[in-house]
Amino acid sequence: MTEMVVPEAGSAPTPTPVTLRPPRYRVERKAILLWTLHAVIGAFWVLGGLGLTYRLWEASRPWLGPILWVLAVIYLVNITIMPSWRYLVHRWEVTDQAVYALSGWLTREWRITPISRIQSIDTTRGPLAQVMGLATLKVTTAARQGSITIAGVDAETVAEVAQRLTAITQQTPGDAT
Amino acid sequence: MSAVSPPSTSEQPDAGRTDLAETGQDELDYTSHPAVEETPWLRLDIRVVFVDLAMFVISFLPTFLVWVVFDVDFDSGSFGIWPALVATSIGVLNAIVDLLRWLKTRYRVTDERIEQRIGWLTKKYRSVPRDRIRSVDFTARPRHRIAGLRVVGVSSGEAKQAFKLDALSVEAATALRLELQRQYRSRPTSQEDRVPVAPTTEDEPKAAEAAPAGEPREETLIASVKWWWFFYNVVNIWAFLVAALLLWGLFWVLQIVNIDLRDVVGRIVDWDAVGPVWSAVIIVGGTFVIGMAGLAWGFVKENWKLQLLRAKTESGSALVTRTGLFDTREVYRDDSRLRGIHLSEPLFWRWMKLTETQVISTGLSAWSGGESGATILPRVPLREAKRVAALVLNDDVQPLEAPLRRHPDSGLVRRLWWAVTGPGLLAVFTFWLGRTGALPDWVWEIFAWLVPVSIVLAVVAQRTLGHTLAGDYLVMRAGWNRRTTNALHRRAVIGFMMGETLVQRALGLRTIEVSTAAGEKAYQVRDIGTAQAVAFLHEALPHVVDDFLEFAHQPSRDKRGK
Repeated sequence: MTEMVVPEAGSAPTPTPVTLRPPRYRVERKAILLWTLHAVIGAFWVLGGLGLTYRLWEASRPWLGPILWVLAVIYLVNITIMPSWRYLVHRWEVTDQAVYALSGWLTREWRITPISRIQSIDTTRGPLAQVMGLATLKVTTAARQGSITIAGVDAETVAEVAQRLTAITQQTPGDAT
Repeated sequence: MSAVSPPSTSEQPDAGRTDLAETGQDELDYTSHPAVEETPWLRLDIRVVFVDLAMFVISFLPTFLVWVVFDVDFDSGSFGIWPALVATSIGVLNAIVDLLRWLKTRYRVTDERIEQRIGWLTKKYRSVPRDRIRSVDFTARPRHRIAGLRVVGVSSGEAKQAFKLDALSVEAATALRLELQRQYRSRPTSQEDRVPVAPTTEDEPKAAEAAPAGEPREETLIASVKWWWFFYNVVNIWAFLVAALLLWGLFWVLQIVNIDLRDVVGRIVDWDAVGPVWSAVIIVGGTFVIGMAGLAWGFVKENWKLQLLRAKTESGSALVTRTGLFDTREVYRDDSRLRGIHLSEPLFWRWMKLTETQVISTGLSAWSGGESGATILPRVPLREAKRVAALVLNDDVQPLEAPLRRHPDSGLVRRLWWAVTGPGLLAVFTFWLGRTGALPDWVWEIFAWLVPVSIVLAVVAQRTLGHTLAGDYLVMRAGWNRRTTNALHRRAVIGFMMGETLVQRALGLRTIEVSTAAGEKAYQVRDIGTAQAVAFLHEALPHVVDDFLEFAHQPSRDKRGK
């Protein structure tokens, strides 16, 4: 793990950083549709299942009723607001040194992982994403918490980035812990 | 800085790709790399198909047996033929799914990486650079053995196994292992290879395997147990649990010889004479004493002649714990895996300044229990722990002595909110349960009384928060119950997350979580000020963040590219 050069602290007077700038690229606009559909499907199964229980099993109604209402509101927000909000927040960038992503909606998360520390690179394409030409890129490090997932990016771009990341990663010898 | 995009980039859907073309071509022309083009994708062994077919056929066996041999039909017995049918359908389904998996799995090993494509509905592609591979192992279930197959597990530094190839023929598997081993055995730069044992399952250091007999080696004593440490470690809230376990064991042992423990105690103490209050005192006190005796025995057994020393090994040096009352136990912790120090001060002992000490190291489990290989000292005074920590880290920095920067007071708002809502919600909930009769109607008062206590703890927790960079160490402190201080070397940081909830945003706070391969894998700086957060990242991890920082006097657009 010694191959990374760490500049000496305070070796030169540096200007005070003001802010961490957002990553350069937005995800695809189609991602809004993808997230909406995922939320709709989730709502269909969960609310449908509980709704059926509510209809058929009368004894459950006193406590299932409030739960159903709360879940309905949560899913309504997830379907109507969450996807567009995410689209406004989510951004990503891959340089020769690092993978940088900003994600979330209510809670925002900035994540940076140096490419030299990447253990594995995954791309995932679910059925809906395949139809829309989208894919998810995931880079994993030796710590599970350090992995970065970038969803809703153009599939071809993801494939290229994955190739490029592997090439750069291989240039750093060692096991990256 | 909100998520507003720079006007030029957000409109171009192809922006990502353009950038790749710009920066990727000169030095990293991966597309024309011969190895990538030539290496063919391989399937798993064809015998997997035969195994699946065999499993498919065997799946019908239960139904066949039940139906034909035992002549059970849908109506007979209490369940009829259904259990057998269910077993059969599960087996059939498994076989079909496994067949699909075989059809849709491809892998290849090139000079630089191992790749796998898998998936039928959801398509997954995974790539791991060859250099990251640490070990290759084989497993085989009976069906694999019969077919001459081996399930090959390829592990990298990740917690999870990087690849599972299920399954290859024995020859192919052996060839693959030799091929991969050639690389990770000869790797010159890695520190990990010095450890002789393949670290596939996060290897606890074991006494026997790491202590080669032979010539005396160079050793420096760092600390040895003092007899008065005994008292720091036996008074513990866990005494009650230990006592309960001991008494429970004793009760059942005496039951075997037909003595009722309750009668014995009843004959010694006349409960009616002492009254309810003294009875309670005797019971609680008695249990505590018994528990303390148990803890004392445990402490003596674990820490008898405890010595912490640094020893030279073939591959460098290691931090060694030598201990044991009956048998000598030795724990070796390779110094090249050492990443930092973790102090944990339990709430009830903070007034005495007692702390527990662990090393942050890769390949050691960080579970906070006593037997974990990461623990280097029992509960001792903070001063002693800091002295030992300085010797363990063995550089001039002494990160634990560095003064910490305070976090903004607005963090207290979050802590007070949790302090009130946590017990408060429980109180409301138990009040409601009390009304419906599910719980006694006084239970909610306990939680109501917890609110003032937790408010005090909230203030304590806020005052605990702190961070700094001491030399090369990130020092982070937090905790309301246990005050934990982590000093982590910045070379060990393999990425970070900076998070901001809506509430934190309103209060001007952030949380930073640095991840590392060692110890608990992630260490947090909680509720740091927004400006503090960026400054700390810049200071501690400039090689990671500086490309993405905007500085006061520079226009940010020009900063990129080199």
